[in-house]
Amino acid sequence: MLLAGLGAEVIKLEPREGSPSRGIGPFASTAPDKEQSIFFWRYNLNKKSAVLDVDDPDAQPTLAALASKADIVLLSGEFETVERRLPLWCKLAEENPRLIVCTITPFGLDGPYRALKATDLVQMALGGIMAVCGYDPDKDGAYDTPPIAPAMWHSYHLGGEYAAVAMMAAINFRELSGEGQFIDVSVHEAVNTCTEVAIPSYVYAGQVVMRQTARHAAPSVTHARLTVSADGVFMLASLSPFEREQRAVAELADQVGIGHVLGTPEFAQLEKEDRVAAAIYRQDLLEEIIASLPADEIFKRAQAVGLAWSPIRRPEDNLDDPHFAARGSFATIRHPELGRDLRYPSTVASDGHAPHFSYTRRAPRLGEHTDEVLKRAAIR
Amino acid sequence: MSNGESKGGRALEGVRIIDLTWLQVGPQATRLLATFGAQVIRVEWRERKAIDFIRYTPPFAPDHATADGGRSQGVTRGHANGSYNRAGYFNNTNPGKYGITLNLNHPKGRDLLRRLVRDANVICENFSPGQMDKWGLGYEELRKLNPRIIYIQTTGVGKAGVYKDYVSYGPTAQAFSGLTFLSGLPQPRPPAGWGYSYLDHSPGYFGAIMLMAAIRRQRLSATGCYIDLSQSETGLMLSGTSIIEHQLTGKPTERYGNRMPFLDWSPHGAYRCAGNDNWIAISIQSDEQWRALIEEIGSPAWALDARFASAAGRKQHEDDLDAKLTSFTTGCERYDLMNRLQARGIPAGVVQKASDRFDRDPQLKARGYYVDLPHSEIGTWPIEGFPAKLSRSPANVGGPTGRAAPKLGEDNEFVFGKLVGLSAAEMAALSDEGVI
Repeated sequence: MLLAGLGAEVIKLEPREGSPSRGIGPFASTAPDKEQSIFFWRYNLNKKSAVLDVDDPDAQPTLAALASKADIVLLSGEFETVERRLPLWCKLAEENPRLIVCTITPFGLDGPYRALKATDLVQMALGGIMAVCGYDPDKDGAYDTPPIAPAMWHSYHLGGEYAAVAMMAAINFRELSGEGQFIDVSVHEAVNTCTEVAIPSYVYAGQVVMRQTARHAAPSVTHARLTVSADGVFMLASLSPFEREQRAVAELADQVGIGHVLGTPEFAQLEKEDRVAAAIYRQDLLEEIIASLPADEIFKRAQAVGLAWSPIRRPEDNLDDPHFAARGSFATIRHPELGRDLRYPSTVASDGHAPHFSYTRRAPRLGEHTDEVLKRAAIR
Repeated sequence: MSNGESKGGRALEGVRIIDLTWLQVGPQATRLLATFGAQVIRVEWRERKAIDFIRYTPPFAPDHATADGGRSQGVTRGHANGSYNRAGYFNNTNPGKYGITLNLNHPKGRDLLRRLVRDANVICENFSPGQMDKWGLGYEELRKLNPRIIYIQTTGVGKAGVYKDYVSYGPTAQAFSGLTFLSGLPQPRPPAGWGYSYLDHSPGYFGAIMLMAAIRRQRLSATGCYIDLSQSETGLMLSGTSIIEHQLTGKPTERYGNRMPFLDWSPHGAYRCAGNDNWIAISIQSDEQWRALIEEIGSPAWALDARFASAAGRKQHEDDLDAKLTSFTTGCERYDLMNRLQARGIPAGVVQKASDRFDRDPQLKARGYYVDLPHSEIGTWPIEGFPAKLSRSPANVGGPTGRAAPKLGEDNEFVFGKLVGLSAAEMAALSDEGVI
């Protein structure tokens, strides 16, 4: 979908019963329906759908015709399925040496884990993200809550992003050399790349980081806690020992009429003598300030004094936010079958005037473009 | 699959990138470009307040590590020892890049930057909004010098828009965009969020995708562009189906822990195993897998309970099911259980800690995921690799330098001498003046 948003024509070849991703909820209908999967809608904007059984020998001439004119063939899914289908595409790549063939599989096409079964949860576990996400341990350092896989399919986001990086590299290489190539993306490795200090902490210092509630995993438990605003919204807010931040928080405390000792010689002395006590003082003050105002008010006031605080919003709270409206962060997509529009998050960047990614068409219905695609294949 | 005429090469051969970024999100994007062969020149300055925070943030290489040593000499907790070149995380984030020092607060420093930009393909920055304009180095100025320049700026909320002056880091953007809320056990538990700055990484991947698209267009049509990359907008892109579902149902999004509300998969979660804070993720996708699991664990009476026979029943009684399954897994060695379940075709995986992923994971070893690279002060260390194999233009995290991260100003001579064409005497004078 990323390449489709950058202008590529993406044709999804689906079996007669539809791509398995049409079976993933949530559904817009009360019962599961392959035309009503919001999951499928979300990840297939702008694409075309043709029904073509890639495992059927009779379909081979059509596939050959498509491959002869394509820039990229992308295969993803379980290892066995991809491995079975790959030789055909490799053969077609010999006839079109500019073709780029890319596979995305749970663990990559070789290695001892290649055929293991995986889901998003299992990938997040083996890849290391789960071990660094979750809740604080008790005061003895023991955990009574499990590690958490952040919701919404992030192992597949990561695999897809890296596949797009690799495909763009291959497209650039083709401009230089005229050659296509073969790309083997491993979701397991993609997840592994994305745990920040976890690997360096172990590699350089032998330390295993500990998961902590809504803040960075670290070799030991840190003092900050989640705070709650007057209207009951969790806030992400921290106060470091940096002087600039202390001055800003002092200003906020003064604004809301909360007494404090920040900036006094006594506090400087405390920081020198007992850093933990100073950190606890800062945290208590922070909680008092945040408890005194509604979340949106704290957000504005904190930003006005240069503090990077934010309410922990639900994703949909951003639908009516004027900032994202001004940037065009949501694309309005017509769903004729629903008789309405839906707004999709649809870009990560702007050129200063308009979004860099462009999405205009809802995900295709199963086989919506079969005739068009077959006709073009027949022309060769 | 290729005809074998060429030996392959670097996808971004001949591409020069002036990299003014720091911390994580900008360097993540340029790391990927160096991996595909771009010449990334990291521009830094020696004053403490201008130094990349992660150059002096632990973990540090052990105190005994020298240029000729490295991890093979053993690991102990190290210190900065007055150097900006010993931080492990910086080393892992910046391999394959060149490093120069350049004082942009000095007019001669800004002139030198303009000379670098004239021959560059891309300039990257993640300063606070407006800083480059203050220096007279904004996109509009730089494109006058080099009309095909690609300018990318990464900020928490984006440079355009109502909140353009807001300050934000990865965690702020995560909270703001909704990703923090989505992660964790259902209410009344608070969100668990992310144990790191996810939005300092993913926008870097998106940045690399966009830059490579822009570089291709630049090669074909000699045009440049301006990219205002937003971390919180990236967060919205990664919020899955939540925002769309909300528009259809009007209901607020809720958290669901490790369970799977979108498919009839159950049990689905992390289950405690033997040992200290050891867990296994198990993800049952069908009745067939459920029956295979029961058989593997010896058909205990609780598992044969009729309530658990169908997916709908398991979902309905999921709390009870999780408790009973935990009573079994708690006695199991985690990798042994993973192997037993996988042998029966059940998706199961150990919740791997960093030590497991580095010391044990046979898949990462077999695929050569960790790459040993030399650093000029702390020796050879394993660096995290690229998660795909390319047959003709392979990823190489050591980039054109063949090194891990650069020391502060390590490549001044190469860049200012060879690339810019300054003489040794000119460089010495600029150094005395506090410019380079």
